[in-house]
Parts: sequence; C-alpha cells; structure tokens
Amino acid sequence: MTKKQLFDSLVRGEQQHTTPFSPILMHFAARHIGKTYGAFASDHNVLVEANIKAMEDFDMDMVSLISDPYREASAFGAEIEFRDEEVPRCLTQVIKKAEEIEKLVIPDVYTSKRTLDRIQGAEAYSRILKGKVPVIGWIEGPLAEACNLMGITEMLMHLMMDEQSSEMLLDKCLEMGKSFAKAQIDAGCHIIGMGDAVCSQIDSVTYDRFVRERHTEIIQHIHDLGGLVKLHVCGNITHLLPSLKGINADIVDIDWQVDLDNARKKLGPGTILCGNINPVVIQDKSAEEVYALSKDLVEKQKGQRYILSGGCEVTVNTPAENLLAMRKASR
Amino acid sequence: MDELLENIATCIEFGKINTGSPFPPDMRGKKGADEYTREALDAGINPHTVLTRGLMVGMDKVGKKFRENKVFVPQVLMSAKAMNTAMEHLMPFFYSGDISAKGTFIIGTVFGDLHDIGKNLVAMMLKGNGWNVIDLGMDVATDTFLKTLEGHPGAVVGLSALLTTTMANMHQIVERIKEKKPQTIVAIGGAPVTQDFCDKIGADIYSPDPQGLLEDLDNKLFAR
Repeated sequence: MTKKQLFDSLVRGEQQHTTPFSPILMHFAARHIGKTYGAFASDHNVLVEANIKAMEDFDMDMVSLISDPYREASAFGAEIEFRDEEVPRCLTQVIKKAEEIEKLVIPDVYTSKRTLDRIQGAEAYSRILKGKVPVIGWIEGPLAEACNLMGITEMLMHLMMDEQSSEMLLDKCLEMGKSFAKAQIDAGCHIIGMGDAVCSQIDSVTYDRFVRERHTEIIQHIHDLGGLVKLHVCGNITHLLPSLKGINADIVDIDWQVDLDNARKKLGPGTILCGNINPVVIQDKSAEEVYALSKDLVEKQKGQRYILSGGCEVTVNTPAENLLAMRKASR
Repeated sequence: MDELLENIATCIEFGKINTGSPFPPDMRGKKGADEYTREALDAGINPHTVLTRGLMVGMDKVGKKFRENKVFVPQVLMSAKAMNTAMEHLMPFFYSGDISAKGTFIIGTVFGDLHDIGKNLVAMMLKGNGWNVIDLGMDVATDTFLKTLEGHPGAVVGLSALLTTTMANMHQIVERIKEKKPQTIVAIGGAPVTQDFCDKIGADIYSPDPQGLLEDLDNKLFAR
C-alpha cells in the first residue's frame, strides 16, 4: 500500500494498523539537508528536496508546501526579505488606509514569483512522488491574509470599526485563496492546508460574523475541485470548536492548548484530528519522554480518524531522535 | 463625580472611544472615554482620581475578562484605544508632575521576532495601569534593551516572543541584563513561554496574560 492509499483509507474511516505521522516541518527540514530557511522559503527545489528527505528519514506519511505566510502577500505587492535562519520578513504594509482596499487587485498566482514558486513545488512533488504520497498545498486563510496585508493590530481593530470595508478585504483575500488553491490542486496537490492562525485570537461571535462563511466557502470550493482541506489555526481554539464543526474541514490541526478529546467531541468522528504535542516539549524532552507522550496519544485515538503531529511546527532545534520516537510510537 | 468616573471605566471596558466611534454597536452615538475624561477634568476632578478610579478600573475589568476568555484580542485593542484617547487628556498632568507613573517599563519583542500583537497588548494595558511605557518595537537587539535601561535606571524590562525559535533569544538578553544590572526586574511572555522556561533563564516574572503581569508587578514592587 502506498502512503496515498493509506491516507485514503484513513479518510474513509477504515481501521488503521499504523497511526499516520505528519508533523509540520519547515526550518527543521531545511536544516536537515544542510540548507537555510531562506533558501527553503524562496526556492521550491530546496523545499521539495528537504521535505522528501525528511519524509524518507522519519517515515512521514505526507509532504507539504508550507513555508511562510507571505506568498500571497508578496503577490499582492508586499516586499519580502529572506534571511538565512529566520522566517522571511514582510517589509511592506500593502493596505495602509481603508480607502486602498477597493483598489486592491487580486493578483494572478501564475505570474507572481512566490505563488508560482509554490505551484512549481506542487508540480515537482507530482513528478517525483508520482501520486504515491499525499501532497499538502498551502494557502492563507482570509483573515490571516487580511492581517498580512493590513497589519494584525490594524486589521483586528478594523473589523470592529468598519465592517463594510473589512468584508471587502476579506472577500478579496478569499478569492485569492480560492485561486491559489485551485492552481495547487491543478499542479497535483491532494490536500490544501489553510492557515488562519489569527482566528485563535478572536471570539466566536467575530469568527462567525466575518470568517466562518468564508471558511465554508473556500472549503466547498476545494472539495468541488477534488481536494481535501486541512485547517490550521494554531493556539487555543477551544472556544471556536462549535463554530468549526459545520465548515466541513477534512483535517483540523489541534494545538497543544486544546484538549484533544474535547475537540473530538465537538468536531465529531468524521473529522481527522491532527496533533497535538507541544513543540517545545518535542524539542526539549528526551526521546523516551516524547515516545511516551506520543504513544499515549496514539492509544487514546486508536480507531479514530487521527494523525500524530506536534501542535504546531516542529522547531529547528528538535533532536532527530525525538521525531523518530514519535514515528516509532505511531506504529 | 462618581457617575463620570463610572462612565469612563465603562467606556474603556467596552472599547467606546468617542461619540463618532461605531464600536460597540450598542453604544453607537453615545459619548465615549474621550468626552467623559474631558468632562471629568473640566468638572475639577483630580487627574490622579480620573486615572485610578476611571481608566485603571476599566482596564482592570477588561484585563480580567481577557484572562477568563470572555473577551478576545479585538475587544482588548478597542479598550486600549479608548484608554489611549482618554490618556491624551491626562498627559499634561504627567508632565507637570500632578500624576506620577507607577514606574517605567521597557518593552519589545526579542531579536528575530516580528510578532508584536502580544507585546502591543501588554504595552497598552501597562499604560492604562499607570506605567510609563517605552516601547522599543519588534526585533530588538540585546544592546538596545541595555542602552535604554541605562537611560532609565530602575525600569522593568519586558521581553516578548511568539516563536519557539526566538524564545531562545530571551535567554541571552536576560543573561546580559542580569550581568549588567542585576536588580532589574525582567518579565517575559508569549505563546511558547512557560513558568519553567522563565525559571530556567533566570527571568523574574512570567504571566500567560497581561493582567497577571500587572498583578505580579504590583506584588513585586510592593514586596521591595
């Protein structure tokens, strides 16, 4: 059975002999092949090579195109600075005044360098892996993207002060997300990860008012294109779980602050939960301790739709033995 | 007098800036912290009383609600905006010495970290609690913290980090501060930070929320 066939059986809810293992790797993966984070984020060849090597060495069950949050922002006109061992920096606030929202043009994902680079990454995975491993593409969720364009403080206050232009900006970010998701599915991605981390910082009323319908729409769009969706909202989303139930995400990342059993209860048996060991714990504890924590999660989630992972990105300084311990625990 | 102070506190608690502000929707068209603070001062209420029984009461309430997950970041930002607007009226009294700050708090995200939402929230709530805040912004080098501390002896230093990777940079900054100015209180915070980490790197205060920091600061300073 290929990893893709195993994943398909997980989606169908069939009995798994091995719990799938799919941690989020970025800086770690780059370092693993002796490359910088800057190279990983700016060159799909490095990103793909790093992820495939990590998949092979740690027997991971999926590969991903996640890198940094600024691919779409770059396409919208933001200047991005790459640094060797840091997350890329967004140097430009694309939207400085509300009046600029109306004029904001949704860019072509095939002509912007950074969005095209991710699409080319998807094509490279398809060529190399020949559909045998699930490939996760990546887009920014509408609120995250709006915050990338306007600044997080400014956007969160704008939501409270000017609903109309907030809606307009969110709609443009939604359309951008849909277009970018389609391009990645066309290039061979099976799953689209949607990162909307800032949602953990808003209340459920604001989420329901501004984001929920847009999440539902983009997920439906991806489903219509034949893809699945992995929603990534790191941080504590306990208060959002009832709202997330109806948006139909196939996989929901659960960060370490959230009780996994509660998430299961709220999201139901049909959702694949992915998580949720604290990345600091994975980094700092011994391999034996990481194994024990992972084993405990795996045992508790046995028979359910579940992927073992960290709550969020595995850090660059995590010992390789600790990732191997997680893999071992999931068998 | 009490009614005006209560109105100020309510406006700050619910993020009502001024009459023109559309937030919160159920207070649309009503006066905000801006107008009530002006009215209080015009009515001859002592500026220190306006600060402690108006602004600080409002920020204390919103801080507690934030800790209890009854409000989230957007609502706190609106409260802070209302508080800042009210504070504008009080600034002349700080300059003249009629109101004295609780102390000086130097804050910034550690070098390598560009996530400032948590830092901004803490800075705003400190201001609302009567602190003189020096906000060094994001990606702040160790030397910048030290240099600023030189100019403000006795100031508390607050370090913020959102990423697990940049959290490690706190260690170096705390070490240098403690080496140069051992008496300095250093507070740390951010999503990946824990009390264990705080103890490990020799920082003095860790709190998962801004309100906890305010309370810890009061306790620490009171104990001195």
